[in-house]
Amino acid sequence: MSTLVVLLSPLFLSWKNELWLRRENGWLRSLIVLFLGFAFWVATFWIVRRVLLYFQTVHELGPALAYQLLLIVLLTFLSMLLFSNLITALSAFFLARDLDLVLSAPTPLSSFFYSRLITTTLNSSWMVLFFSLPIFAAYAAVFGGGIRFYAWVALVLPLFLIIPAALGVLVTQLLVYFLPARRIRDILFFVGLFAFIIFYLFFRFSQPERLVQPETFGHFLEFLAAMETPSSPYLPSSWSAEIFASALFKKPVDLWFFYPLLLSYALFFPLLACWVSSAVYLTGWSKAQESRQGRHHSYLLDRVIRGATSFFPETLKAIMIKDIKTFLRDTTQWSQLFLLLALVVVYLYNFKVLPIERSPIPSSTLRTVVSFTNLALAGFVLSAVAVRFAFPAISLEGKAFWILQTAPISLRQLLWSKFWLNLVPLLFLGELLVFLSNLLLRVPTWMMTLSLITIFLMTFGITAIAVGVGALYPKFDYDHAAEISTGFGGMICMIFSIGFIGLTVMIEAWPVYLLTVQKFDPGAVARSPWLLVPSLVMIFVLTAAAVVFPIKLGLNKLESMRA
Amino acid sequence: MLFQNLAFNLKSKIDMIQLENLTKRYGRLAAVDSLNIDVRPGEVFGFLGPNGAGKTTTIRVMMGILKPTSGRAIMGGYDIEKEPEKAKAIIGYVPDRPAIYEKLSGAEFLNFVGKLHHMGGEQIDRRIPELLECFELLEWRDELVESYSHGMKQRLVLCASLIHEPKILVVDEPMVGIDPKGARTLKDLFLSLAKKGTTIFLSTHSIGVAEEVCERVGIIHKGKLIASGTMAELLQLAKVEEGKLESVFLELTRDGASS
Repeated sequence: MSTLVVLLSPLFLSWKNELWLRRENGWLRSLIVLFLGFAFWVATFWIVRRVLLYFQTVHELGPALAYQLLLIVLLTFLSMLLFSNLITALSAFFLARDLDLVLSAPTPLSSFFYSRLITTTLNSSWMVLFFSLPIFAAYAAVFGGGIRFYAWVALVLPLFLIIPAALGVLVTQLLVYFLPARRIRDILFFVGLFAFIIFYLFFRFSQPERLVQPETFGHFLEFLAAMETPSSPYLPSSWSAEIFASALFKKPVDLWFFYPLLLSYALFFPLLACWVSSAVYLTGWSKAQESRQGRHHSYLLDRVIRGATSFFPETLKAIMIKDIKTFLRDTTQWSQLFLLLALVVVYLYNFKVLPIERSPIPSSTLRTVVSFTNLALAGFVLSAVAVRFAFPAISLEGKAFWILQTAPISLRQLLWSKFWLNLVPLLFLGELLVFLSNLLLRVPTWMMTLSLITIFLMTFGITAIAVGVGALYPKFDYDHAAEISTGFGGMICMIFSIGFIGLTVMIEAWPVYLLTVQKFDPGAVARSPWLLVPSLVMIFVLTAAAVVFPIKLGLNKLESMRA
Repeated sequence: MLFQNLAFNLKSKIDMIQLENLTKRYGRLAAVDSLNIDVRPGEVFGFLGPNGAGKTTTIRVMMGILKPTSGRAIMGGYDIEKEPEKAKAIIGYVPDRPAIYEKLSGAEFLNFVGKLHHMGGEQIDRRIPELLECFELLEWRDELVESYSHGMKQRLVLCASLIHEPKILVVDEPMVGIDPKGARTLKDLFLSLAKKGTTIFLSTHSIGVAEEVCERVGIIHKGKLIASGTMAELLQLAKVEEGKLESVFLELTRDGASS
């Protein structure tokens, strides 16, 4: 037991130090994070409560709908937990930097195993815990679960978190036993992403919004009749849902069956994982040390990349080629392009299914309004993509940043190379989104032209903000590229980007309004689209500032790192 | 013509490395304290000191990675603060814990560094096999760096530091992770480079390496240069009978030693 505590102490001590020994301005950062966390909780609570209240207005069916939603939520959590536990367990057992130290120490393997299981459970479950609490609170508020419901939440949740964690550890041990570890991380990431995209597309194309439209009720009743019992009765999420349902909806549930069932699994899986682990872990661990990649030389790819970057000076070109190759060879990075593709498809699909004809407003006016709103939305999507891909540009240099620091190039050149490299794909994405959605909306020519010019300018600003703020908050010491943009800097970048998009849209709003409403007043003098020129000039100036200012900030930060 | 020759003679006599009152403070702690070092062209200068003496900080300031609090580092006649790009163009640098791009192959990494140093394609294509051959990495040229061992990465970084045929080579702890055969090759390389006129600034705590390779040695302790000179000069300074650098080093870096 004492060995277990010792093995866990680095984790708890790091948390403690992170909390109490904050760096300079750490309190501001904590305050903002705390505020955002609170805002997120309130928003989630409010939205779920609204949905549940809406369900209650549906005569007799409220609790049934709420129960179905609870099942879906818990099932989603369970799948998220299972996947994140697989990844975390892989890191904790096979890739963590302290493994050499811990495994060479005279500690019993079982203590090592249980300490890693606890670490895995904590690291991969806190997010789900954070997301789930406001949802449970909303259920309690709407259906009056009271103390009894909260007590069940407290009793059920730990078991609900342990089962997927132990299962994740078990599967990871077996996978590594048969495959080398670094490859597995790539494969898992890929499988997880693929599963997510399928889930996302399926969810979107099933059009859940139809469920709450009165005209589809006949269909929905049939749907409910088929769903009177949980769709997957053998999953811990369904057992948990049953227990919660007894407290919330007074559903007659045999608690003496479901809770012991959950408890027995929560005890059995860690034990099973420990047994399997003691048999296969050391073999898997030593195999994971040997994994190697194959030879890499693709003349065709080299030629394509060289051609694409031929407009730039040699030094900039060298940095770009290095970045492109690194991106394409890192599975965890390039596979996110699938996510991007799914996003574009769903984004455009939304415009296709938009019920514009059912609106009381003339459809041509509505099309222009939607198209204009779409500018802000496309800008938002671009910002999200830029935070994921352009924001880490400097941080991705990682510990190899010394190479660029000691090379005879200026940091300014470095930042601009990152800017241009990220601008081109973002520009392509932005123009594609706006052009295709406007095509689906059948907007007038002036709106199409305005949208394409605006998104063109906006992308310059968004890219510069991402690259500049990324340099302002660099994270050279990372385990996984995806974690770079999830910190404080990523949030600041998003705030800056949204501010910039908001300003751009506000500048254009008035002339677009004038041009749009003139159809309502046939007697008025016809306005020319040239009315838009002054606002475009203003946006040009704003964009120039949005490009220069963040890059300058980033540059100053990189310079100040020498102090 | 006469003036040109005179200018050339003068330039060749200028010290390739001049550290003038170089100081680097972190708050109240002086990691490097008023350091004055001159290294002549073609000289191998050993920079010795116990752990935490300020060796790596000095080197990072010399390479322009850190800004000095005061003083100057003049490399090949260029102030690293005022003309960093010109200075860096003539220096090769090998850090103590070299991290490199794991997803590039060895050859691609060298090509990248060559381009950063504004080298032409043909020149790079000539140098890469030359260097990889010299450091026994030729058969690994197309393998990703992530599959290299620690020693191989170290050798690859050495290749990168030499690709642009630098006039100055700054090396921080060169023998970490290198096997005895590699260490021998490395020492021979330093000597042959110096013979060809390359100035080498070698930071190490391996006294054997310093004794074997360096013409002059500087000893840094708690950020201050406490001794500098040839072996004979140092022996005299430390008043040590036996002719071993180790005794000099231990005597001079002993707390309470008069420096």
